[in-house]
Amino acid sequence: MTTMNPEQEKDSVPFYPDHVKTEFYVVLGILGLAIIIGVLGLFFPVGLQEPADPLNTPLHVKPEWYFLALYQLLKYIPPKVLGIDGTIFGVTSIIIALLVVVIWPFLDNKPDNKKAMRLRMIVTIIGVILVIAMTIWGEVS
Amino acid sequence: MTKSARGKFFFGLGVALAAGALLLAVTAHVQAQASSPPEETDWSLVETSVASATVPPPNQDPCLHCHIFGENKNLWMPLARWTVFGTLGLVFVFGVYRSASVWRQRKPWKPLTARAVEWVDERYEVSAPLSKILSKPVPRFAMKWWYCLGGITAFLFVVQGLTGIMLAFYYKPTAADAYASIQFIENEVRFGAAIRAIHHWAANGMIVMCMAHMLRVFIMGAYKRPRELNWISGMLLLILTLVFGFTGYLLPWDQRAYWATTVGTDIAGSVPAVGNLVLVLLRVGWDVSEATLGRFYALHIIIVPLATLAFMLAHFMMIRKLGIHKPL
Repeated sequence: MTTMNPEQEKDSVPFYPDHVKTEFYVVLGILGLAIIIGVLGLFFPVGLQEPADPLNTPLHVKPEWYFLALYQLLKYIPPKVLGIDGTIFGVTSIIIALLVVVIWPFLDNKPDNKKAMRLRMIVTIIGVILVIAMTIWGEVS
Repeated sequence: MTKSARGKFFFGLGVALAAGALLLAVTAHVQAQASSPPEETDWSLVETSVASATVPPPNQDPCLHCHIFGENKNLWMPLARWTVFGTLGLVFVFGVYRSASVWRQRKPWKPLTARAVEWVDERYEVSAPLSKILSKPVPRFAMKWWYCLGGITAFLFVVQGLTGIMLAFYYKPTAADAYASIQFIENEVRFGAAIRAIHHWAANGMIVMCMAHMLRVFIMGAYKRPRELNWISGMLLLILTLVFGFTGYLLPWDQRAYWATTVGTDIAGSVPAVGNLVLVLLRVGWDVSEATLGRFYALHIIIVPLATLAFMLAHFMMIRKLGIHKPL
C-alpha cells in the first residue's frame, strides 16, 4: 500500500477500503431492489400481448417510453417544413442535435464558471420538463 | 503443543463428538420411524411454507426430485446429510492438521488466506500493482449520492448480463418459438417470471440512470477539457443502451414488440440518403420478419454487449487516469 501525503489524507479517502465499501453498500441496495422486483415479478409478471401478427395492425402503435418524446415530436411535425418533407426534416434535426450533444465538449471548450453552470442547470431542467411532458403526452394520446 | 492449538484440538474433538451423537440420534430416529407405519407428507402444507422453494412436491417432477434429494423426504435427505457431516468432517481434519503442524514446527499458524495470497503473488506478482490501484485516493467531494449514478448504471449492466444469460437458456429466437418460449419462461421455469421481471425493469432503470448520470455530468461541467473523450464514450454508451432497449423490445415477438419495431425501423428508414440502407440492414429485407428477430437477437446478446464492455473499459480507464472532476 502506498501511503498518502498528509494533504491528500485531509480531503480524500483511499479507494480501498473506504470508497469500495461505499460502492458495495450501493450495490447491495440495488441488489435488494432487484430481488424485491423479482419477488413482485412472481406475482405480477411482465406479461405478453397477443402474438405478433404482421397482417393485423393494432390501433395504437407506440415505441418504448424512452423513444416516446421523439416519436411524439415526429408525429406532430407539419407535413412540409421549409419545403422539405416533415418526417425527413424531423429525423435530420434529431440526428444533428444528437451529433451536437456528442461533440459538445469541443463546442463548449472555455474554462467553466458559476454563471455558465447555472445556465446549464436551467437549460437541463427546462429540457427535462419538456421531454417528460412530451413523454406523458405520447403515453396518453 | 501451544495452549491455543490444544484448545482448538479439543474444540474440534467436541464438534466431532457432537456430530457423531447427532448422527446416532438421527439414525435411531429414522429406524424408529421405519418400523412404524410411514407418515404421508402433507404437501399442501409444504407448499405454503418456505420449503416449497427448495423441495418440489413429488407431483411436479418426481424423477428430478429423486435425483437431487434421494428418496427420503425428511430433513435428513442424503444431500443435506452429506453437506452437513462432510463439512464437519473437513473442519475436523483441518483442525487436526493445523494442530499437528503447530506442534511440530513450534511456530504460529499462518492463515490459509495469507498462504493463498503468497502463492498467487509468487507466480503472478500482482500484489504491488494491485495495491497501487487500490490505494488511489478518492476525493472527499465525490462521496455524494449523485456521484454514484454512473456506478449504478454499470452495476445494472452486470445485472442485465446475468439475468440475460439466464433468460437465454430458455429463449428461442425464431418466429415460431419466441412467443411460446417467453410464455414457458413466465409460467414453467422456476423463478423465470422473477428473472424476466428483473431483466425488464432493470433495463428501464439502466436507461434512467444512464440519462441521470449524463445530466449530472452536463450540469457540473465534468465534460470540459481534458475529459472530452470521456463524454463522447459516455454518449456512445448511452446510444448503445438505447440500442439494447430497442433490440430487446422485439424479442418477446408479441404485437407490441412487432409494431414498435416496425415503427422504429420506419423512422430510421426516413433518414436522408442512407435511410433505405439502414432500413434493410435492420430488418434484413423490407419487412420485419423472422430474420429481423435473429438479427436483433444477435445484436442484443453479442454485438452490443461486447461494444458496451469495450467502451465501459475506456470510460473507466479515463476516469482513473484523469481523476474525478472537481466541481466549482
